[in-house]
Amino acid sequence: MKTLEVQNLTKRFSSTTQPAVNQISFALEEGEILALVGPSGCGKTTTLRLIAGLERPDCGSILINGRLVASESRFIPPEKRGIGLVFQDHALFPHLTVFGNVAFGLRSRRNESRHKSAPNAVKAAVLDMLRLVGIDFLASRYPHALSGGERQRVALARALAPRPSLVLLDEPFSSLDADMRLTMREEVRKILKSMQATVVFVTHDQEEALFMGDRLAVFQRGQIEQIGTPDEVFHTPATRFVAKFMGDSDFLRGKISSNGIQTEIGLLLQPVSLPNSTLVEIAVRADDIDFEPDESGNAVIAARFFRGALNLYRLQLDSGQILHALKMHTYLVPVGTRVRARISAGHPLAVFEKSA
Amino acid sequence: MRNLSQFLYRLLPILLISAGGLTACAPISPLPAAESQTPTSLPSQPEALANEDPIAESPTSAEVNGKLVIYSGRSEALIQPVLDAFRSKYPKVEILIKAGSNSALANALIEEQSNPQADIFITTEMFTAQSLAQKGIFQSYFPKGAESLSAEFIGPNQTWIGLTRRARVIMYNADLVAPEELPASIFDLTNPKWKGQVAAAGSTNGGMQAHIAAMRKLLGEEATANWLKGLLANNVTFFGGHTDVRKAVGAGEFKLGLVNHYYYHLQKAEGSNVGIIYPDQDEGQIGLLTNITAAAIVRGAQNLPAAQALLDFLVSPEGQKLFAEGNYEYPLLPGVPLREGVTPLENFRLAAIDIPSIALDLEATFKLMEVVGLP
Amino acid sequence: MLRAIKSLPFPSKPLPFSSQLALVAGLVALFVALPLAYIFLRALSANPEDWLRLLQTRLWRLMGNTLALAGAVTSGTLIIGVSMAWLTERTDLPGRRAWRWMLALPLAIPPYIGAILHLALLRPRGGVIPKFLEGLFGFPVPTPSPLGFWGAAFILTIFMFPYVYLLSGAAFRSQHAMLEEAARSLGRTAWQTFWQVTLPALRPGLLAGALLVTLDVLAEYGTVALLRYETFSSAIFAQLYGRYDRSAASILSGVLVSLALLVLWSEIKLQGQARFTQIEGNWRPVPLILLGRWKLPALVTVLLVIAISLLIPLLVLLAWTIQAVLDPQTLSQIFRAGPQGLAQSAWNSLWTSALAALFAVTLSLPVARLSVRYPSPYTHFLARLCQVGYAIPGVVIALSLILIINRLVPILSATPHLVVIAYVLRNMPQAVRASESAIGRLSASLEEASRTLGRTPLQTLFEITLPLILPGLLAGGALVFLTSLKELPATLLLRPAGFDTLAVRVWVWASDGYYIQAAPAALILLLVSAIPLSFLLHRTAMFQ
Repeated sequence: MKTLEVQNLTKRFSSTTQPAVNQISFALEEGEILALVGPSGCGKTTTLRLIAGLERPDCGSILINGRLVASESRFIPPEKRGIGLVFQDHALFPHLTVFGNVAFGLRSRRNESRHKSAPNAVKAAVLDMLRLVGIDFLASRYPHALSGGERQRVALARALAPRPSLVLLDEPFSSLDADMRLTMREEVRKILKSMQATVVFVTHDQEEALFMGDRLAVFQRGQIEQIGTPDEVFHTPATRFVAKFMGDSDFLRGKISSNGIQTEIGLLLQPVSLPNSTLVEIAVRADDIDFEPDESGNAVIAARFFRGALNLYRLQLDSGQILHALKMHTYLVPVGTRVRARISAGHPLAVFEKSA
Repeated sequence: MRNLSQFLYRLLPILLISAGGLTACAPISPLPAAESQTPTSLPSQPEALANEDPIAESPTSAEVNGKLVIYSGRSEALIQPVLDAFRSKYPKVEILIKAGSNSALANALIEEQSNPQADIFITTEMFTAQSLAQKGIFQSYFPKGAESLSAEFIGPNQTWIGLTRRARVIMYNADLVAPEELPASIFDLTNPKWKGQVAAAGSTNGGMQAHIAAMRKLLGEEATANWLKGLLANNVTFFGGHTDVRKAVGAGEFKLGLVNHYYYHLQKAEGSNVGIIYPDQDEGQIGLLTNITAAAIVRGAQNLPAAQALLDFLVSPEGQKLFAEGNYEYPLLPGVPLREGVTPLENFRLAAIDIPSIALDLEATFKLMEVVGLP
Repeated sequence: MLRAIKSLPFPSKPLPFSSQLALVAGLVALFVALPLAYIFLRALSANPEDWLRLLQTRLWRLMGNTLALAGAVTSGTLIIGVSMAWLTERTDLPGRRAWRWMLALPLAIPPYIGAILHLALLRPRGGVIPKFLEGLFGFPVPTPSPLGFWGAAFILTIFMFPYVYLLSGAAFRSQHAMLEEAARSLGRTAWQTFWQVTLPALRPGLLAGALLVTLDVLAEYGTVALLRYETFSSAIFAQLYGRYDRSAASILSGVLVSLALLVLWSEIKLQGQARFTQIEGNWRPVPLILLGRWKLPALVTVLLVIAISLLIPLLVLLAWTIQAVLDPQTLSQIFRAGPQGLAQSAWNSLWTSALAALFAVTLSLPVARLSVRYPSPYTHFLARLCQVGYAIPGVVIALSLILIINRLVPILSATPHLVVIAYVLRNMPQAVRASESAIGRLSASLEEASRTLGRTPLQTLFEITLPLILPGLLAGGALVFLTSLKELPATLLLRPAGFDTLAVRVWVWASDGYYIQAAPAALILLLVSAIPLSFLLHRTAMFQ
């Protein structure tokens, strides 16, 4: 039995615009982390809220542990779905202490039977949870006296404390600064895995998605473009959008020929099952392109960006097309230098038929 | 609502016929003038009967207690001493009073007819009492000891009972007005000589309304309208009530004030140097206008014993004396002496008013005040 | 004074739209709008003859009188309010902190009490001051008269300017130094900067203040009646009080409410264009302007305003109260037991106002929640509908309640509940605005978090929403309580027999010219009003 099954889920907020979530389906195994990733407004948060029961779907169904919680004819309210949700703004109750926040979910009617007449059991559970997220010493503080990372941990502890069958995280790290993000996401993943939680995680940051997710679902305009492991999504993007969004790809125009793809910077030796003369675009990342100075080259250095250990060069091909290439920081070529660019990928590249 | 009020207006004429023209056909006659009664106003007249309730017996003091709700057109300050005296006799009664204008309270009584809130209605002029009686708002009760009251002071089928009488006079500030220049007629108030120097009560005041209604009948629509326009043109200041008028005249803010006679006495008692003029006493003039205050028990009154006890008290020598002494009014019960300094009405020539026809035109009086723009 | 002009700090996404909530909110809005609709219906269905007669006689004069007064008072309050706010917020005026309070406190004094005081003190030839002067010099000395247009305009101005003062003071305070520095760096003098940058940035606050003042003037009954200046409100009151026919009152009410709605509408339009967002980042207060040799004149001006609008009224009331207490007869009259006694009146004032506050706030919750959490044309319409109470003066509410209640719910007629209903209707806008701002500050995710942690909507309301918005609701309640305490015309018309509030007590005595007898009730009314007022002031940034 799947922990979560979503079938043909559709939600529209007004009858005039296109649906926020359009006919999406996916499923989650127990203990799996699924990252929903996509640009803002793509429908990933709406999907999460539909699963949580904070929105009512127009079509489709949602099953949690085989129980139908939402369909056209059935709607189980959020408090009866047995889920834990970590909000983007953490949504800590300002009038309750850290302890009170975490205990909140344990004291609900749903959990009363489990902790019946056992305030000690609640206390123990809360302290266990706080210890797990590493903030047991903050139990008596109020949220306003916490740092961003501490709030994050309380929010997580609060969502996990009732041992929900499904944990939902809505851009949980977006309010943290860059440093804190990296440490937190590592730690949160560790905690979630240690609890063997089944998780749906929403983010707009592809790197975060690749890091957190056992699988990724890439969203665009209310639909799932691709669903797969980080490797699959990164290396074999199913659509041009996925390639663009997941890897900062440039798209090199080319034409299918009998022995490969003819491009402006040379022939790419890669078999493609498309008829000859088809116009295509090849998704290339900066690490797939190399160049060296050459007076009779095919491109000009348009700009150079310092990226720590690496330098990112922006190349303008003679046709006007822009590509990017990575070089060691010690390798310096001034802007304006004429160069010869070439494809240097050691792996097959994603090729998309050029739309008319 | 509109229908209700129109209905009321249509009824008013009939009612007012029965109102008992206190001054009607009694141009010079001394009071009381029971013979001036119009036939329809007699309690025994069937067409004026508001109800067929048997006339209730007076209560004994033992059963008088509880809350007594009074709607009073008389201002609270003027009625309170009498009510306090009543309470000292019946300490178990709790009096709840709502003081306001006659018409506002009459409207309330009509609106509450199916769900009566008040036990007693006290009014400053009997037009309102009469019209409400006709609508069946009141129940019959003949107060103990009221037998000696002149029949003209008793409503149809004994639905209301007269309490006191008051005269419409001009009071003046004696510091500001020389004796030789005193006005002798209410028409002198429109003389430009008094421009900005006269105060009166406005169109919401029951006494003023009755005054205009009477004038309208005596002199006709046009002459009355001209008189009112003359007052307005003369920058007469119209107050909500007569207390303001008497205080303003007493203070010298105005030289003259058109008031009920006792306001002169009240102001004089406060130490002001004020004088009184009983206007229009010469041949060919309209004579002194008077008015009657009345009280009635509301049909459906919650506390009948207390209401009856209060009515008994109000017309008893004790109650009448309080009005006469405390407020300088003319008591209606024969034999109750006037307060010292109050001139008996017998000394004056009273206005000859044909009450029934005034009543017919009461709505026209309201309209007249509005068209003229009386504030 | 307490309107949230800034935008909501949290994104508010809705839980699934609740049709029960929408239904309840709709019913509340209906309840609020019913009197309005009824008055319009009555006005429009009135006999054309009545319309014609009013058009020919009073309507235009009343319109002119009312608009002139509203215009004069609004301008007057803007001038005094802004200049007082500028002096206490932007300059180095000595004692600013104390003056701030004293300039806001006149809000506790109903203007009709101010009118009573001025009448007693200044009424031509009859007032205390003219009499004193006449005694001193032996001949009448001309003194300014409190009567008529100028008197009414003056008195309403000095007791209503705190609205503008508080709103513009808050705006002055929140203004960023950068704005003025930018203007100065672009070559404007200090004076030009004030007119071209500082003042325009105050516009939302000024508009809100002007709206409150204008609508209050339209609704004011006691002051204009005492000072004998006829406006729509006093004409309607007179019509209700002294006539049998209600159609003229309905017509006048219809016109008055249209006028008030027009004012409300234009404020919404103007405000919509003038919603300034504050500059984010490191906010720095504007440096104080050094008054230098203007210090003394400025101080004298502020003290004069405080003296006229607060100190003199308080002292006179105090003196009269002492006089009333010292005179045994008066003492027994006003402190008598029973319904007309002060204790009973004070209790009536308290419980009706408190009940009105409770009801208004409770009823405002569904409307506010709906309009904040589920913004849509429908929910905005509901919220706007609840704002129209501002535009319905007390006399009009009384008229419509008299007409409606007697027909539909006669059991309520002539009960104090009617008075409470009138207070709720009249003050609903304040409650709705306070609740909207309180709910708007509450992140929707808190409620959602509670739901996902196993709480039903009702449990969420009691465990999360109410505890968190309580301070905001209390502020709304305090405002309703304060304005209900001061309410006069609707109470006068609707109260049952033997039911007096402090305001009624003051009025009954004072309208007959018994000023000394009226003083104790007036003083108690002021002191009681000062409690919710100071609670409200403590919540505003100016007094923290």
